[in-house]
Amino acid sequence: VPLGTLDRTPPPFFKQGQSALSKLVLFSALALFLMVADTRFKLTGPVRTAVASALFPLQWLVLRPMEMLRGGGAYFTALSQAQNAEAAAKARLASQAQRAAQVEQLGLENDRLRKLLGLRERLNPAGQAAEVIFDAADPFTRRVMVDKGSAQGVQPGSPVLDDAGVLGQVTRVYPLSSEVTLLIDREHTIPVLNTRTGARSVVYGDPSMHGGALELRFMAGNADVQQGDVLSTSGVDGVYPPGIPVAKVDKVERRADSAFAKITCLPLANTLGARHVLVLEPFSVPIPLPSPVESAQNAPKKGAKK
Amino acid sequence: MIMRPGQQLLLPANPLFIWGSLFAALMFNMLQSSLFGRAAWQPDVLALALVFWVIHQPLRIGVGTAFVFGLSMDVHQGALLGQHALAYTALSYLSISISRRLLWYSIPSQALQIFPLLAGAHALQLVVRLLAGHHFPSWTFLLAPLIEALLWPVVTLILLAPQMRAPDPDEHRPL
Repeated sequence: VPLGTLDRTPPPFFKQGQSALSKLVLFSALALFLMVADTRFKLTGPVRTAVASALFPLQWLVLRPMEMLRGGGAYFTALSQAQNAEAAAKARLASQAQRAAQVEQLGLENDRLRKLLGLRERLNPAGQAAEVIFDAADPFTRRVMVDKGSAQGVQPGSPVLDDAGVLGQVTRVYPLSSEVTLLIDREHTIPVLNTRTGARSVVYGDPSMHGGALELRFMAGNADVQQGDVLSTSGVDGVYPPGIPVAKVDKVERRADSAFAKITCLPLANTLGARHVLVLEPFSVPIPLPSPVESAQNAPKKGAKK
Repeated sequence: MIMRPGQQLLLPANPLFIWGSLFAALMFNMLQSSLFGRAAWQPDVLALALVFWVIHQPLRIGVGTAFVFGLSMDVHQGALLGQHALAYTALSYLSISISRRLLWYSIPSQALQIFPLLAGAHALQLVVRLLAGHHFPSWTFLLAPLIEALLWPVVTLILLAPQMRAPDPDEHRPL
Protein backbone atom coordinates (compact mmCIF):
# COMPACT_ATOMS: atom_id res chain seq x y z
CA VAL A 1 0.00 0.00 0.00
CA PRO A 2 1.53 3.35 -0.99
CA LEU A 3 1.97 5.99 1.67
CA GLY A 4 -0.75 8.60 2.01
CA THR A 5 -3.60 6.19 1.47
CA LEU A 6 -4.14 5.56 5.14
CA ASP A 7 -6.44 7.87 6.98
CA ARG A 8 -4.66 9.81 9.76
CA THR A 9 -3.05 8.33 12.87
CA PRO A 10 -5.22 6.04 14.97
CA PRO A 11 -7.35 7.89 17.50
CA PRO A 12 -5.86 8.21 20.99
CA PHE A 13 -7.04 5.66 23.51
CA PHE A 14 -7.23 7.73 26.67
CA LYS A 15 -6.95 11.45 25.93
CA GLN A 16 -10.08 11.86 23.86
CA GLY A 17 -10.82 15.43 24.94
CA GLN A 18 -14.30 16.58 25.92
CA SER A 19 -17.12 14.16 25.23
CA ALA A 20 -19.71 15.16 22.66
CA LEU A 21 -22.37 15.35 25.36
CA SER A 22 -20.42 17.84 27.47
CA LYS A 23 -19.78 19.93 24.35
CA LEU A 24 -23.49 19.81 23.55
CA VAL A 25 -24.34 21.07 27.03
CA LEU A 26 -21.71 23.82 26.87
CA PHE A 27 -22.62 25.14 23.42
CA SER A 28 -26.38 24.86 23.97
CA ALA A 29 -26.02 26.88 27.14
CA LEU A 30 -23.95 29.43 25.23
CA ALA A 31 -26.57 29.60 22.46
CA LEU A 32 -29.37 30.06 25.00
CA PHE A 33 -27.38 32.77 26.74
CA LEU A 34 -26.88 34.55 23.41
CA MET A 35 -30.60 34.35 22.66
CA VAL A 36 -31.55 35.84 26.00
CA ALA A 37 -28.86 38.49 25.68
CA ASP A 38 -30.13 39.28 22.19
CA THR A 39 -33.84 39.55 22.98
CA ARG A 40 -33.89 40.86 26.54
CA PHE A 41 -30.72 42.78 27.22
CA LYS A 42 -29.61 43.88 23.73
CA LEU A 43 -26.04 43.00 24.60
CA THR A 44 -25.02 41.18 21.46
CA GLY A 45 -24.29 44.18 19.23
CA PRO A 46 -20.48 43.77 19.30
CA VAL A 47 -20.69 40.02 18.61
CA ARG A 48 -22.94 40.63 15.64
CA THR A 49 -20.76 43.40 14.30
CA ALA A 50 -17.62 41.25 14.58
CA VAL A 51 -19.20 38.24 12.84
CA ALA A 52 -20.81 40.45 10.21
CA SER A 53 -17.46 42.08 9.42
CA ALA A 54 -15.89 38.62 9.03
CA LEU A 55 -18.75 37.49 6.79
CA PHE A 56 -18.75 40.60 4.62
CA PRO A 57 -16.13 39.38 2.08
CA LEU A 58 -18.09 36.15 1.58
CA GLN A 59 -21.35 38.05 1.09
CA TRP A 60 -19.66 40.40 -1.33
CA LEU A 61 -18.30 37.47 -3.33
CA VAL A 62 -21.70 35.77 -3.49
CA LEU A 63 -23.44 38.95 -4.59
CA ARG A 64 -21.10 39.51 -7.58
CA PRO A 65 -22.76 36.93 -9.88
CA MET A 66 -26.18 38.22 -8.79
CA GLU A 67 -25.21 41.77 -9.70
CA MET A 68 -23.90 40.59 -13.07
CA LEU A 69 -27.12 38.70 -13.69
CA ARG A 70 -29.19 41.76 -12.85
CA GLY A 71 -27.00 44.02 -14.96
CA GLY A 72 -27.15 41.58 -17.86
CA GLY A 73 -30.93 41.35 -17.62
CA ALA A 74 -31.27 45.13 -17.66
CA TYR A 75 -28.96 45.33 -20.67
CA PHE A 76 -31.18 43.06 -22.71
CA THR A 77 -34.55 44.68 -21.92
CA ALA A 78 -36.27 45.87 -25.03
CA LEU A 79 -35.71 49.42 -26.22
CA SER A 80 -39.44 50.00 -26.50
CA GLN A 81 -39.87 49.11 -22.84
CA ALA A 82 -37.29 51.69 -21.85
CA GLN A 83 -38.97 54.29 -24.04
CA ASN A 84 -42.36 53.53 -22.52
CA ALA A 85 -40.91 53.93 -19.05
CA GLU A 86 -39.40 57.25 -20.02
CA ALA A 87 -42.68 58.50 -21.47
CA ALA A 88 -44.54 57.50 -18.31
CA ALA A 89 -41.94 59.22 -16.16
CA LYS A 90 -42.22 62.42 -18.23
CA ALA A 91 -46.01 62.40 -17.97
CA ARG A 92 -45.75 62.03 -14.20
CA LEU A 93 -43.23 64.83 -14.01
CA ALA A 94 -45.54 67.12 -16.01
CA SER A 95 -48.49 66.34 -13.75
CA GLN A 96 -46.36 67.12 -10.70
CA ALA A 97 -44.91 70.31 -12.17
CA GLN A 98 -47.71 72.54 -11.00
CA ARG A 99 -47.61 71.25 -7.44
CA ALA A 100 -43.83 71.42 -7.40
CA ALA A 101 -43.98 75.06 -8.44
CA GLN A 102 -46.39 75.81 -5.63
CA VAL A 103 -44.32 74.05 -3.00
CA GLU A 104 -41.73 76.83 -2.73
CA GLN A 105 -44.38 79.43 -2.23
CA LEU A 106 -46.38 77.30 0.19
CA GLY A 107 -43.25 76.49 2.15
CA LEU A 108 -42.44 80.18 2.53
CA GLU A 109 -46.01 80.96 3.52
CA ASN A 110 -45.96 78.09 6.02
CA ASP A 111 -42.72 79.38 7.56
CA ARG A 112 -44.16 82.85 8.00
CA LEU A 113 -47.43 81.61 9.43
CA ARG A 114 -45.57 79.37 11.85
CA LYS A 115 -43.42 82.29 12.95
CA LEU A 116 -46.52 84.39 13.32
CA LEU A 117 -48.12 81.75 15.51
CA GLY A 118 -44.90 81.12 17.42
CA LEU A 119 -44.76 77.43 16.44
CA ARG A 120 -41.66 75.34 16.15
CA GLU A 121 -40.22 75.29 12.65
CA ARG A 122 -40.45 72.21 10.56
CA LEU A 123 -37.21 70.30 10.26
CA ASN A 124 -36.07 68.80 7.01
CA PRO A 125 -33.75 65.97 7.95
CA ALA A 126 -30.88 65.17 5.61
CA GLY A 127 -30.94 61.84 3.82
CA GLN A 128 -28.71 59.63 1.75
CA ALA A 129 -29.55 57.26 -1.05
CA ALA A 130 -28.92 53.56 -0.52
CA GLU A 131 -29.53 50.37 -2.40
CA VAL A 132 -31.21 47.21 -1.13
CA ILE A 133 -28.67 44.42 -1.58
CA PHE A 134 -30.71 41.43 -0.45
CA ASP A 135 -33.70 40.35 1.58
CA ALA A 136 -32.71 39.03 5.00
CA ALA A 137 -33.31 35.30 4.61
CA ASP A 138 -35.00 34.91 7.99
CA PRO A 139 -38.56 33.72 7.20
CA PHE A 140 -39.82 34.83 10.62
CA THR A 141 -39.31 38.55 10.03
CA ARG A 142 -39.57 41.03 7.18
CA ARG A 143 -36.22 42.75 6.82
CA VAL A 144 -33.87 43.82 4.04
CA MET A 145 -30.20 44.75 3.99
CA VAL A 146 -29.03 48.03 2.45
CA ASP A 147 -25.53 48.88 1.32
CA LYS A 148 -24.87 51.83 3.66
CA GLY A 149 -23.61 51.30 7.19
CA SER A 150 -22.05 53.11 10.09
CA ALA A 151 -19.04 53.97 7.90
CA GLN A 152 -21.41 56.13 5.81
CA GLY A 153 -23.04 57.61 8.90
CA VAL A 154 -26.24 55.58 9.10
CA GLN A 155 -27.69 55.61 12.61
CA PRO A 156 -29.92 52.96 14.17
CA GLY A 157 -33.53 54.09 14.16
CA SER A 158 -33.27 56.08 10.94
CA PRO A 159 -36.44 56.10 8.83
CA VAL A 160 -36.14 54.61 5.34
CA LEU A 161 -38.30 55.75 2.42
CA ASP A 162 -38.75 54.61 -1.14
CA ASP A 163 -40.26 56.65 -3.99
CA ALA A 164 -43.83 56.03 -2.83
CA GLY A 165 -43.66 56.30 0.95
CA VAL A 166 -42.23 54.96 4.17
CA LEU A 167 -40.51 51.60 3.74
CA GLY A 168 -39.32 50.94 7.27
CA GLN A 169 -36.71 51.73 9.84
CA VAL A 170 -33.03 50.88 10.31
CA THR A 171 -32.79 48.41 13.19
CA ARG A 172 -29.18 47.20 13.08
CA VAL A 173 -26.14 48.95 11.76
CA TYR A 174 -23.02 47.10 10.65
CA PRO A 175 -19.83 48.81 9.43
CA LEU A 176 -20.66 48.54 5.72
CA SER A 177 -24.32 47.58 5.62
CA SER A 178 -27.41 47.96 7.72
CA GLU A 179 -30.59 46.09 8.33
CA VAL A 180 -33.96 47.71 7.66
CA THR A 181 -37.10 46.33 9.29
CA LEU A 182 -39.95 46.74 6.81
CA LEU A 183 -43.14 48.35 8.02
CA ILE A 184 -45.04 45.08 7.41
CA ASP A 185 -42.92 43.32 10.05
CA ARG A 186 -44.90 42.22 13.07
CA GLU A 187 -42.70 44.17 15.46
CA HIS A 188 -42.94 47.41 13.52
CA THR A 189 -45.35 50.15 14.51
CA ILE A 190 -45.63 53.64 13.15
CA PRO A 191 -47.77 56.60 14.30
CA VAL A 192 -49.91 57.92 11.49
CA LEU A 193 -52.40 60.63 10.66
CA ASN A 194 -55.48 60.11 8.52
CA THR A 195 -55.03 62.82 5.89
CA ARG A 196 -58.80 63.11 5.29
CA THR A 197 -59.95 63.50 8.88
CA GLY A 198 -56.77 64.40 10.74
CA ALA A 199 -57.30 61.62 13.28
CA ARG A 200 -54.08 60.28 14.76
CA SER A 201 -53.50 56.59 15.33
CA VAL A 202 -50.87 53.87 15.10
CA VAL A 203 -50.51 51.18 12.45
CA TYR A 204 -49.01 47.79 13.19
CA GLY A 205 -47.28 45.50 10.72
CA ASP A 206 -49.16 42.32 9.82
CA PRO A 207 -47.04 39.94 7.73
CA SER A 208 -49.56 37.09 7.87
CA MET A 209 -51.58 38.54 4.99
CA HIS A 210 -50.33 37.58 1.57
CA GLY A 211 -47.44 39.86 0.72
CA GLY A 212 -47.79 41.70 4.00
CA ALA A 213 -50.19 44.42 5.14
CA LEU A 214 -50.75 46.83 8.00
CA GLU A 215 -53.43 46.94 10.62
CA LEU A 216 -54.95 50.02 12.17
CA ARG A 217 -55.80 48.81 15.65
CA PHE A 218 -57.90 50.23 18.45
CA MET A 219 -60.15 52.36 16.28
CA ALA A 220 -63.70 52.53 17.60
CA GLY A 221 -66.34 50.63 15.65
CA ASN A 222 -67.90 53.85 14.45
CA ALA A 223 -64.63 55.70 13.77
CA ASP A 224 -64.55 57.77 10.61
CA VAL A 225 -62.28 55.64 8.45
CA GLN A 226 -63.16 54.85 4.87
CA GLN A 227 -61.70 52.64 2.25
CA GLY A 228 -59.13 54.61 0.24
CA ASP A 229 -58.07 56.96 3.04
CA VAL A 230 -54.37 57.78 2.89
CA LEU A 231 -52.43 57.55 6.15
CA SER A 232 -49.30 59.65 6.48
CA THR A 233 -46.73 59.95 9.26
CA SER A 234 -47.84 62.21 12.05
CA GLY A 235 -44.40 63.09 13.37
CA VAL A 236 -45.36 62.70 17.02
CA ASP A 237 -42.82 59.89 17.45
CA GLY A 238 -39.76 62.01 16.82
CA VAL A 239 -38.45 59.47 14.32
CA TYR A 240 -40.40 59.94 11.10
CA PRO A 241 -40.73 63.45 9.69
CA PRO A 242 -44.43 64.38 9.42
CA GLY A 243 -46.39 64.15 6.21
CA ILE A 244 -44.84 61.17 4.46
CA PRO A 245 -47.41 58.76 3.01
CA VAL A 246 -47.44 55.36 4.70
CA ALA A 247 -50.45 53.33 3.67
CA LYS A 248 -53.88 53.32 2.10
CA VAL A 249 -56.91 51.86 3.87
CA ASP A 250 -57.91 48.70 2.04
CA LYS A 251 -60.75 47.20 4.03
CA VAL A 252 -62.86 48.31 6.97
CA GLU A 253 -64.82 45.63 8.81
CA ARG A 254 -67.25 46.90 11.43
CA ARG A 255 -68.61 44.04 13.47
CA ALA A 256 -71.42 44.14 15.97
CA ASP A 257 -69.66 41.84 18.42
CA SER A 258 -66.54 43.96 18.74
CA ALA A 259 -66.03 47.46 20.06
CA PHE A 260 -63.26 48.02 17.54
CA ALA A 261 -63.28 48.07 13.77
CA LYS A 262 -60.89 45.76 11.96
CA ILE A 263 -59.07 47.99 9.52
CA THR A 264 -56.58 46.58 7.04
CA CYS A 265 -54.24 48.90 5.16
CA LEU A 266 -51.84 48.28 2.32
CA PRO A 267 -48.39 49.90 2.40
CA LEU A 268 -47.76 52.44 -0.35
CA ALA A 269 -44.04 51.65 -0.51
CA ASN A 270 -42.96 48.67 -2.56
CA THR A 271 -42.22 46.34 0.36
CA LEU A 272 -41.64 43.31 -1.85
CA GLY A 273 -39.14 44.69 -4.32
CA ALA A 274 -37.86 48.15 -3.44
CA ARG A 275 -34.37 48.68 -4.82
CA HIS A 276 -33.37 52.31 -4.32
CA VAL A 277 -34.22 53.82 -0.98
CA LEU A 278 -33.54 56.98 0.98
CA VAL A 279 -32.18 56.71 4.52
CA LEU A 280 -33.06 59.80 6.55
CA GLU A 281 -31.47 60.94 9.74
CA PRO A 282 -33.75 60.37 12.72
CA PHE A 283 -35.89 63.44 13.06
CA SER A 284 -35.91 64.16 16.73
CA VAL A 285 -37.88 66.84 18.44
CA PRO A 286 -37.01 67.16 22.10
CA ILE A 287 -40.26 66.51 23.90
CA PRO A 288 -40.82 69.29 26.44
CA LEU A 289 -40.93 67.62 29.85
CA PRO A 290 -42.50 69.41 32.78
CA SER A 291 -39.63 70.79 34.83
CA PRO A 292 -39.24 68.91 38.14
CA VAL A 293 -39.07 72.07 40.25
CA GLU A 294 -42.34 73.39 38.94
CA SER A 295 -44.18 70.11 39.34
CA ALA A 296 -42.82 69.72 42.87
CA GLN A 297 -44.12 73.17 43.79
CA ASN A 298 -47.52 72.53 42.30
CA ALA A 299 -47.93 69.10 43.86
CA PRO A 300 -50.08 69.16 46.98
CA LYS A 301 -47.95 68.38 49.99
CA LYS A 302 -49.37 65.31 51.57
CA GLY A 303 -48.36 64.28 55.05
CA ALA A 304 -46.34 67.46 55.64
CA LYS A 305 -46.58 67.91 59.35
CA LYS A 306 -44.78 71.20 59.73
CA MET B 1 -11.08 -1.97 9.79
CA ILE B 2 -14.56 -3.47 9.66
CA MET B 3 -16.59 -2.16 6.76
CA ARG B 4 -19.87 -2.74 4.98
CA PRO B 5 -19.46 -5.46 2.33
CA GLY B 6 -18.93 -3.91 -1.09
CA GLN B 7 -17.88 -0.55 0.30
CA GLN B 8 -14.99 1.12 -1.46
CA LEU B 9 -11.79 1.75 0.47
CA LEU B 10 -11.52 5.55 0.69
CA LEU B 11 -8.52 7.85 0.49
CA PRO B 12 -7.90 10.08 3.51
CA ALA B 13 -9.93 13.28 3.54
CA ASN B 14 -8.09 16.50 2.81
CA PRO B 15 -8.67 18.99 5.67
CA LEU B 16 -8.54 21.84 3.17
CA PHE B 17 -11.35 20.23 1.21
CA ILE B 18 -13.43 19.72 4.36
CA TRP B 19 -13.19 23.36 5.41
CA GLY B 20 -13.53 24.59 1.84
CA SER B 21 -16.71 22.59 1.37
CA LEU B 22 -18.18 23.98 4.60
CA PHE B 23 -17.49 27.56 3.50
CA ALA B 24 -18.85 26.73 0.04
CA ALA B 25 -22.05 25.45 1.69
CA LEU B 26 -22.31 28.70 3.68
CA MET B 27 -21.91 30.69 0.47
CA PHE B 28 -24.47 28.47 -1.27
CA ASN B 29 -26.95 29.34 1.49
CA MET B 30 -26.22 33.04 0.97
CA LEU B 31 -26.71 32.69 -2.78
CA GLN B 32 -29.96 30.86 -2.24
CA SER B 33 -31.31 33.58 0.00
CA SER B 34 -30.40 36.28 -2.50
CA LEU B 35 -32.18 34.26 -5.22
CA PHE B 36 -35.34 33.26 -3.36
CA GLY B 37 -35.58 35.96 -0.69
CA ARG B 38 -37.01 34.74 2.59
CA ALA B 39 -38.91 31.69 1.31
CA ALA B 40 -39.33 29.23 4.15
CA TRP B 41 -38.82 26.08 2.09
CA GLN B 42 -35.16 26.72 1.28
CA PRO B 43 -33.01 23.69 2.14
CA ASP B 44 -30.23 24.45 4.58
CA VAL B 45 -27.22 23.11 2.67
CA LEU B 46 -24.82 24.17 5.41
CA ALA B 47 -26.63 21.94 7.92
CA LEU B 48 -26.42 19.08 5.47
CA ALA B 49 -22.68 19.57 4.89
CA LEU B 50 -22.09 19.75 8.64
CA VAL B 51 -24.03 16.53 9.21
CA PHE B 52 -22.05 14.86 6.43
CA TRP B 53 -18.64 15.79 7.83
CA VAL B 54 -19.64 15.10 11.42
CA ILE B 55 -20.70 11.61 10.39
CA HIS B 56 -17.71 10.89 8.14
CA GLN B 57 -14.98 12.73 10.10
CA PRO B 58 -16.19 12.96 13.72
CA LEU B 59 -12.64 13.59 14.96
CA ARG B 60 -12.17 16.67 12.77
CA ILE B 61 -15.57 18.34 12.65
CA GLY B 62 -17.61 18.41 15.82
CA VAL B 63 -20.07 20.31 17.91
CA GLY B 64 -17.87 23.42 18.26
CA THR B 65 -17.50 23.89 14.51
CA ALA B 66 -21.24 23.50 14.07
CA PHE B 67 -21.83 26.16 16.72
CA VAL B 68 -19.54 28.69 15.02
CA PHE B 69 -21.08 28.09 11.58
CA GLY B 70 -24.52 28.41 13.14
CA LEU B 71 -23.55 31.76 14.61
CA SER B 72 -22.39 33.06 11.23
CA MET B 73 -25.66 31.85 9.68
CA ASP B 74 -27.59 33.78 12.36
CA VAL B 75 -25.72 36.97 11.62
CA HIS B 76 -26.11 36.56 7.87
CA GLN B 77 -29.87 36.05 8.13
CA GLY B 78 -30.32 38.73 10.76
CA ALA B 79 -32.11 36.07 12.81
CA LEU B 80 -32.18 35.71 16.57
CA LEU B 81 -28.54 35.31 17.62
CA GLY B 82 -28.07 31.70 18.72
CA GLN B 83 -31.01 30.21 16.84
CA HIS B 84 -29.04 28.39 14.14
CA ALA B 85 -26.17 27.86 16.58
CA LEU B 86 -28.45 25.92 18.93
CA ALA B 87 -30.02 23.93 16.10
CA TYR B 88 -26.65 23.01 14.56
CA THR B 89 -25.22 22.11 17.96
CA ALA B 90 -28.05 19.69 18.63
CA LEU B 91 -27.91 18.40 15.05
CA SER B 92 -24.19 17.67 15.20
CA TYR B 93 -24.51 15.98 18.59
CA LEU B 94 -27.22 13.65 17.26
CA SER B 95 -25.14 13.03 14.13
CA ILE B 96 -22.12 12.06 16.20
CA SER B 97 -24.24 9.69 18.24
CA ILE B 98 -25.43 7.84 15.11
CA SER B 99 -22.19 8.17 13.13
CA ARG B 100 -20.84 4.69 13.93
CA ARG B 101 -24.06 2.98 12.91
CA LEU B 102 -25.12 5.05 9.91
CA LEU B 103 -22.29 4.19 7.51
CA TRP B 104 -23.28 0.52 7.58
CA TYR B 105 -26.43 1.33 5.63
CA SER B 106 -26.96 2.07 1.95
CA ILE B 107 -27.19 5.73 0.96
CA PRO B 108 -31.01 5.94 0.49
CA SER B 109 -31.42 4.29 3.86
CA GLN B 110 -28.98 6.82 5.35
CA ALA B 111 -31.14 9.64 3.94
CA LEU B 112 -34.16 8.12 5.63
CA GLN B 113 -32.35 8.07 8.98
CA ILE B 114 -31.00 11.62 8.58
CA PHE B 115 -34.47 13.01 7.89
CA PRO B 116 -35.77 13.02 11.50
CA LEU B 117 -32.58 14.80 12.62
CA LEU B 118 -32.99 17.55 10.05
CA ALA B 119 -36.71 17.87 10.77
CA GLY B 120 -35.87 18.13 14.46
CA ALA B 121 -33.37 20.92 13.82
CA HIS B 122 -35.96 22.91 11.86
CA ALA B 123 -38.60 22.28 14.53
CA LEU B 124 -36.17 23.50 17.20
CA GLN B 125 -35.64 26.75 15.30
CA LEU B 126 -39.40 27.19 14.87
CA VAL B 127 -40.05 26.64 18.57
CA VAL B 128 -37.31 29.08 19.56
CA ARG B 129 -38.68 31.79 17.27
CA LEU B 130 -42.27 31.29 18.32
CA LEU B 131 -41.17 31.54 21.96
CA ALA B 132 -39.34 34.76 21.10
CA GLY B 133 -42.66 36.12 19.80
CA HIS B 134 -42.23 36.03 16.03
CA HIS B 135 -44.98 35.06 13.62
CA PHE B 136 -45.39 31.65 12.03
CA PRO B 137 -43.69 31.76 8.60
CA SER B 138 -45.76 29.51 6.34
CA TRP B 139 -46.50 25.84 5.93
CA THR B 140 -43.95 25.51 3.13
CA PHE B 141 -41.26 25.31 5.81
CA LEU B 142 -42.23 21.64 6.18
CA LEU B 143 -40.67 21.08 2.76
CA ALA B 144 -37.19 22.18 3.88
CA PRO B 145 -36.12 18.99 5.78
CA LEU B 146 -37.67 16.87 3.03
CA ILE B 147 -35.61 18.57 0.32
CA GLU B 148 -32.51 18.28 2.52
CA ALA B 149 -33.04 14.53 2.98
CA LEU B 150 -33.49 14.14 -0.78
CA LEU B 151 -30.23 16.04 -1.29
CA TRP B 152 -28.30 13.62 0.95
CA PRO B 153 -27.24 11.25 -1.90
CA VAL B 154 -26.12 14.24 -4.00
CA VAL B 155 -24.11 15.69 -1.12
CA THR B 156 -22.56 12.28 -0.41
CA LEU B 157 -21.55 11.89 -4.04
CA ILE B 158 -20.00 15.36 -4.26
CA LEU B 159 -18.21 15.43 -0.91
CA LEU B 160 -16.88 11.85 -1.16
CA ALA B 161 -15.69 12.25 -4.78
CA PRO B 162 -12.13 13.35 -3.89
CA GLN B 163 -11.77 10.35 -1.58
CA MET B 164 -13.09 7.86 -4.13
CA ARG B 165 -10.21 8.36 -6.56
CA ALA B 166 -7.77 5.55 -7.20
CA PRO B 167 -4.74 5.75 -4.87
CA ASP B 168 -2.25 5.52 -7.77
CA PRO B 169 -3.79 7.13 -10.88
CA ASP B 170 -2.27 6.20 -14.27
CA GLU B 171 -3.41 6.77 -17.85
CA HIS B 172 -6.01 3.98 -17.63
CA ARG B 173 -7.45 5.27 -14.37
CA PRO B 174 -7.10 9.06 -14.60
CA LEU B 175 -9.30 9.77 -11.61
